[in-house]
Amino acid sequence: MLNYKTATNEEINYNGIVVKEISPTMKLNLRGKKREFFTNIGKNLNMLLPTEANTSTISDKFTAIWLSPDEWMIVTNDEVKKDTNEYQLNEILFNDISKSSLGAIIDVTDQFVQLEIIGKNIYEIFSAGSPFNFSEFKDKKGSSVQTILNHIDVIVHNKGDQIVNLFVRRSFAQHLWSWINDSASRL
Amino acid sequence: MFLINCPYCGERDQQEFKAGGEAHIERPKQPTELSDDEWAEYLFMRKNIKGVQFERWNHAHGCRKWFNMARDTSNDEIKAIYKMGEKPPTQ
Repeated sequence: MLNYKTATNEEINYNGIVVKEISPTMKLNLRGKKREFFTNIGKNLNMLLPTEANTSTISDKFTAIWLSPDEWMIVTNDEVKKDTNEYQLNEILFNDISKSSLGAIIDVTDQFVQLEIIGKNIYEIFSAGSPFNFSEFKDKKGSSVQTILNHIDVIVHNKGDQIVNLFVRRSFAQHLWSWINDSASRL
Repeated sequence: MFLINCPYCGERDQQEFKAGGEAHIERPKQPTELSDDEWAEYLFMRKNIKGVQFERWNHAHGCRKWFNMARDTSNDEIKAIYKMGEKPPTQ
């Protein structure tokens, strides 16, 4: 079930930084190691999961983000329709993978809030609150990282062209939003 | 503040990691045959030496994987990092 309550209603627009929530998008957490798991995922998604650390792969419908050697997050590229309460892919993968013990599929749609941050000063804000070195990350389109931003666990995905997608747990979203808002206003 | 080279994600700041205590402690095969002192020795007693110590670490705010580290406790120098299940490096 998708939660249509957005974490934030506003849009941040300061000093060339624009932040808005992308909602609703489907997010699935995949875990698995077996060879059959990879072939099954490849067949159902029509894409390969990234095996290199801190990278992602993209198809016309989905983005697969590397989280750990046996864990990925699948996100839809476009917003899903609000009148669709169930996402078919979740059901297909759950039946094919979770039920046959090839791996685990967990629907994290409601768990994570997806923020889109646009602007040339994105990494100025990130470097103020994160210990991660973004110098290589920002030049590599498709790179992803799990790190800390203002003491909050986040997943950051570089979409290129000064666009970054940030995934944060819903309960922390409002706090992080306020921090980004405050940081952007001081750039 | 120092950097730790996660065997899965690469070099990251220490803030992202949690220390998990001494590594390579083997659970006794027959716990019921142990005396209380021997059980307490396994359960509670740790070396805590000054020098190179083998430790477990977890990349808690990254890939959430556990790994082992040989660290000099006197100066925080990391001598080696190796995955779970691998043997500790010889000094």
